[in-house]
Amino acid sequence: MRLHPALIILAAALTLPLPTLGSETSETDLTIAGAYVRMVPPGTPNSAAFMTISNRGSSDRKLIQAASPVARKVELHTHLNDQGMMRMRQVADIEIKAGAQTELKPGGYHVMLLDLQQPLQEGDSVALTLRFDDGSTKEIDAAVRKPQTEMKAQDTPAQGAMKH
Amino acid sequence: MKTRLLLIALIVVLSSALIFLIAFWEPLPPATIAAAPPHARPATAAKPAGGDFTLHGAQGPVSLADYRGKVVLLYFGYTYCPDVCPTSLALIAQALSGLAATEQQQVQAFFISVDPRRDSAERLQEYAPFFHPTLIGLSGTPQEIARVAAQYGASYQAQPPNAQEQYSVDHSSATYLIDTQGKLALTLPHASTSAQLLAAIREHLAAPVAAR
Repeated sequence: MRLHPALIILAAALTLPLPTLGSETSETDLTIAGAYVRMVPPGTPNSAAFMTISNRGSSDRKLIQAASPVARKVELHTHLNDQGMMRMRQVADIEIKAGAQTELKPGGYHVMLLDLQQPLQEGDSVALTLRFDDGSTKEIDAAVRKPQTEMKAQDTPAQGAMKH
Repeated sequence: MKTRLLLIALIVVLSSALIFLIAFWEPLPPATIAAAPPHARPATAAKPAGGDFTLHGAQGPVSLADYRGKVVLLYFGYTYCPDVCPTSLALIAQALSGLAATEQQQVQAFFISVDPRRDSAERLQEYAPFFHPTLIGLSGTPQEIARVAAQYGASYQAQPPNAQEQYSVDHSSATYLIDTQGKLALTLPHASTSAQLLAAIREHLAAPVAAR
């Protein structure tokens, strides 16, 4: 087994958390705006939270975990539009590049709330804990919005090219 | 020993490259999602013909043939869907709400479940009106659903369940517009805006018989 030590190093290098290579980031480098949770029809077990995360720091950050008391399980997801087929997939993290922002929005990245523990009503506020790869966490309150309301609020054409 | 050190150095360099790749390579930038050709369909559903069908509503069988004279919208999805379906149904609802009352009476939208195992007609009746009071949810046997989906070029695929026996369903997200004659007139791609949907509905409502 000549390669054995090499493999160990490779494995170690891969599990090394990336941000430790970069500079220290203070928690204030990340700001979260426009967070909302979508209100779902009665009896619907799953919903999603959307928001815009901005990173004013000088190193890239990743959202690696989310939790909420309203859901038994919380996952990070994205959607892949595979020739018109919408494939929802869990992702390990959602990156927010240094000096940039990442939008979690319908049809793309979202924080998925699985197995809701209580019905969500418009006007409710949902507590979310977001954990980032530098070990920092953010506690936010996301407003519950009806899909119709959130669309009026965005007031921009949904992603996808205008055909005409 | 020296070759071993070299080997280790090589590994470190390669690992760094790999980490860099993992950190900076974005397999799913939002742009890719937006840039996907709106009309691209799996080859199997090249030219859907549409046509009549009968599925199950909470009040009993629902047949497309009973809706001649109306513009009918079809959307295929499932109620456990956290994002794509609510988004699309809200857009359809918004388009319906943009119609005058007299126009609304000439339109019927259906939400057809591609997950009939979990979505009974009763469950769909609880779900659909949340978006719009006139939206009707339809279920059926897996065979019935598969046949209607094939007729319209919709595709779907249940994913393997997780430990809690929960599963998601990949599915196409187009809205099908059926004209007053019962013919599939238009396939509106995923993320069509409510304004586009509204315009498409109006276009097919408009034609007064005398003008043709």
